[in-house]
Amino acid sequence: MIKTDVIIIGGGATGCGIARDLALRGIPHCLIEKGDFAAGATGACHGLLHSGGRYVVTDPVAARECYEENLILRKIGQKCVEQTGGLFVRLPGDSRRFREIFLRRCDEAGIPAEVISASKALELVPNLNPRIEEAIKVPDCAIDPFRLCMLNIRTSELNDALILTRHKVTEIIKSHGRCVGVKALDQTTAETREIRANVIINATGAWADTIAALAGCHVSLTPVKGSLVITNHRLTNMVINRLRHPSDGDIIVPNEAVCLAGTTSIPIEDPDKTSTDFQEVETIIGEAAKMIPHFDDTRIIRAFSGVRPLLKSVKTDSHEISRGFQIIDHQNGLFSIVGGKLTTFRLMAEKMVDRVMNVFNLKRPCTTAEIPLDGQEDLSGYPLSRRLEDLKNIVCECELVTRQQVKKIIRQTGTKNVGDIQHRTRLGMGPCQGGFCTFRALGIMNDMNVISPEESMNILRGFLQRRYKGIRQVLWGDQLREEQLVEYIYLGVLAMEKPNARE
Amino acid sequence: MRVNEYDAVVIGAGVAGLAAASFLAEKKLKVAVVTKGEPTACLSTGAVDVCSQGDEPLAAIQKLPPEHPFRLVDEETIRSALNKFQQTVNAAGLPYIGSVEKNRFILTALGTFKTSCLVPVTMEASPQNASESLHIVTFRGLKDFYPGYIISRRKNAKFSVYDAGVSTTMSLAAHFEEKNFFEKFLLWLEKQNIYQDKIAFPAVLGLESAAEIVKTISILAGRPVFEIPTLPPSMPGRRLFNALKKTLRDNGGDIYWSWPVTGIEAAEATIEAVTTRSDGRPASINGKAFILAAGSFIGGGLTVTRHGIQENIFHLPVHIPGSRETWFDDNYFSMNHGIGRVGIAADAAMRPIGTSWKNIFVCGSILAEAQILKNGCGHGLALATASAAAKSCAEYLAR
Repeated sequence: MIKTDVIIIGGGATGCGIARDLALRGIPHCLIEKGDFAAGATGACHGLLHSGGRYVVTDPVAARECYEENLILRKIGQKCVEQTGGLFVRLPGDSRRFREIFLRRCDEAGIPAEVISASKALELVPNLNPRIEEAIKVPDCAIDPFRLCMLNIRTSELNDALILTRHKVTEIIKSHGRCVGVKALDQTTAETREIRANVIINATGAWADTIAALAGCHVSLTPVKGSLVITNHRLTNMVINRLRHPSDGDIIVPNEAVCLAGTTSIPIEDPDKTSTDFQEVETIIGEAAKMIPHFDDTRIIRAFSGVRPLLKSVKTDSHEISRGFQIIDHQNGLFSIVGGKLTTFRLMAEKMVDRVMNVFNLKRPCTTAEIPLDGQEDLSGYPLSRRLEDLKNIVCECELVTRQQVKKIIRQTGTKNVGDIQHRTRLGMGPCQGGFCTFRALGIMNDMNVISPEESMNILRGFLQRRYKGIRQVLWGDQLREEQLVEYIYLGVLAMEKPNARE
Repeated sequence: MRVNEYDAVVIGAGVAGLAAASFLAEKKLKVAVVTKGEPTACLSTGAVDVCSQGDEPLAAIQKLPPEHPFRLVDEETIRSALNKFQQTVNAAGLPYIGSVEKNRFILTALGTFKTSCLVPVTMEASPQNASESLHIVTFRGLKDFYPGYIISRRKNAKFSVYDAGVSTTMSLAAHFEEKNFFEKFLLWLEKQNIYQDKIAFPAVLGLESAAEIVKTISILAGRPVFEIPTLPPSMPGRRLFNALKKTLRDNGGDIYWSWPVTGIEAAEATIEAVTTRSDGRPASINGKAFILAAGSFIGGGLTVTRHGIQENIFHLPVHIPGSRETWFDDNYFSMNHGIGRVGIAADAAMRPIGTSWKNIFVCGSILAEAQILKNGCGHGLALATASAAAKSCAEYLAR
C-alpha cells in the first residue's frame, strides 16, 4: 500500500496541471491515468490556445479567462506554444451585426482585436479565400497538448510524485463514508495497487461520472463529441476562425507540419464509443474550404473525435453550452473538476488546488502562472545540420524520429506501447500514419528483447486497427494509395494474418 | 510532332503489362509499353502468388467466385502463362522454382509464412516449417529488417550483424555486386561459426547476379542460404521487373519510360492513339489495339476521389460493388474490404464491359473482383490475364 496526500485521477491537461500545482506548493501526490497522458479530450482537440475570440460573443466570462491564460501560457510554456496569431474571417453573407458585437465584446474583455482589410489578410495568409469581406486579427496561438502534459508532469516527477500511467482505477476505497484511497489496476502487468490519500481529485473529463460513481457520487455532464481532420500540409501559418456564431468546422489551426480543422459538436452517450462518420468529415472539409478553398483538394491524413466534458445544460445547441468549469465537492474527500477548456487548464488547476489547500488548512500561494514549465530546455529544436547527420538513423521519415530517440523512450518508460513512443516523439504522425515506422519501432523493441512474439503481434494488430479507425473516413486520393500500400505490406509481404501456418 | 506507329500499345510496365507486351512481341508484332514510371512490381516480394486459398493453386482458382477475373481464363492458359514465365526468367538469369501444381511457403520478415507459388531461386531454401534452425545475417543500420521478429517466433534461430558501411536495401544490393566487398564479406562470414541448418539474409544479395551470390555463399558456408523479402524498396521485386523489361526489349518491344498518358485520340469506336503533354518526346503513340495494364490504386490505373472512382486512361466504366460506406469494413484484418473488388469488369476476351471501344483489352490488378490480398493472387493473376488479353489482342489484330 502506498500513502500520499492527494490522488489525481486523469492524465489530461487538467490532471497534469493539478499535479504541477501541487508539486510547486509542496504537496505529495500521485497521478493515475488509465492510458497515456493526453489520451482523452486533451489529445483530441485542435491544439488551439484561444485568444478568447471564439467565445467572446456567447460566453464573455470564459473568453476573458481564455485571454488571461493565453498570456500566461505564452510566457511560461514557450516551447509548447507557437505564437501564430489568428484571424476571424468574414465571408460574404456572414452577419455584420455579429461582427459589431464581436468587436465590442473584445473591447470589453480586453482582447486585442484589429480589423484588417481582405487584401491585408491575404498577404498574411495567401491561401485564404480571396472573396472574404475582411478579417479581425486576434492573439490566437497553437499549442501542443501532448507536450503540454509532459512538461506539466515533469515538475511532479522532479518532486518525486508517483505517476502511474496505464493504470485504471477500479475501486474507490471508503472508510466511515469518506473516500480514503483507490485501487488501481496496472494494465500492463494486471497487478492491483492500493493507494491511500486524504483527498482524491477526479479530473477524468468525459469519464468523470464513471469515476464518481465508484464513490457512490454523481456528476452531471453532457459529453459532446467533436471531430477533427488533419491535413498533410500546413495550409496556413495563422489560426483561421470564421467570424460568426460558433458552429461546425469553423476553426483551422496550424500545428507543426500540418493543420487541424474542425470541429463538430454532437452530444453522445458513451465516451468510450466514439467514432467519426463520413458526413462529419464532409462537413468539416466543406466548411474549412469556405475559408481556405485549397482545403477541398488537400490530402487529409486522419480524422478523429474527442469528447468534451461539458457541463450539463438545458440549452439544446451544444455549441452554446458553457465552456466554463466547475469544481464539485462531493463532501466525502472526493472532488470532481469538470468542464473548462484546454486553454484554461492552468486556472482550473489553480482553483482546484486552492480548495485542497483549504482542506489541509495551508496557505501557500499558487505560482504556476509565474514559473516557466520544467523540462523545456530539452526541447531546443532539431537543426538541419543534425538532421542530416542523423539521416541514416531516422526510423520515421515523416516526422524525423531517430532510432536513438525510440530506444531512449523504451528504456526510460519500459513501454510496450507504440502510442507512448508516438506521443513523446511524433513517430507515426505523418502521412503514412505509422505504416512504416511502427514495424521499425516494434522491431527495435523485439531486438531489445522487451516483448514476446505474442505481444509483438498483438501490439501490431492493435496498432493497425486503431490506425485504421482514424483513417478509414478519409480514404481517397493519395491517402488511399498509401493505405493500400500499407495493407499490402502487412497482409501481403509480411503475411501477418497467417501467423500459425505450419508452425 | 513525331508520331510512332504500333500494332499494340500497352499502358503500364508492371508484371501484366510487360508480360502482355512480350507475348505480342514474340509474335513479331510491333509493341510499345507506355509507363509513367516504376511499377508496383518493384515494391513486391518478387514471388508469384497464383492463388493462396489452398495447397493447390489451380484447384483453389476453381473455388473462387464466378465473378473473379481468374475465372475468365481457362486452366490451360493459366498453366502455360506460368510455365512460360518460368522459361522467360530462367533465360534472363533469374530462375524461379516451384510449380503451378503446388503452393509453397516463404519466411517473412515478421517470422510468419507467406503462401506463394513460383518463387525466386534465392528463396528456394526458405524453411517450410518451424523445425529447421536458422542463422540470420543482417546489416548494421538496416531499417526495415529486425531479426528479433523471426527469432522470437522460432526458438532455434540466432543472428549476427555485418557492418557494410551502408544501410539501405538498394545500396547493400549494389555492394554485393562488387568483387572486393563480396570477398571481404565472405571472409567475415567464415569466422561466424555458423552451425545452424540454414542461413537467412534480408533480400539484399545483389541485383543482377543474386542467384550466383546465393549459390557462392551457400557453397562456402556448406549449408543452404535463402533470402527473406523486405519491405519496399524490394530487391527481388526490382530483379523481376528488370528481367521482364529485358525480355521485352530483347524481343524488339519499345518502352516509353516516364510517359504519363494524359489523353487519347479516337475515331468513332476505335482508339487511335494515346497522348502525353510532356515535351521532348513524341506527343502521341498510335496503335491499332491497346492493352490497359495500369494497375489498381497504388499503380495509378484507378483514382478514388471524394466523389467517386475513375479509370484514368480511357475513362472506362468502373465496377463499384457498393456505396462508399461498404468500401472499408470495420475490421481492418477482415480482408473483405469492398474496395478490393473495385476495378474494370471484363468479358472472356478480356475486353472491358460496358464500353463501345472496340480495340481495348485489359489485364492485371485493375480487373474488377480480384481481391488480390484476400485470394493471394497478385503476379499469378497478372501473368494469366496478360496472356489471355494478349491472345485476344493478337486475334483482333489478325482480323
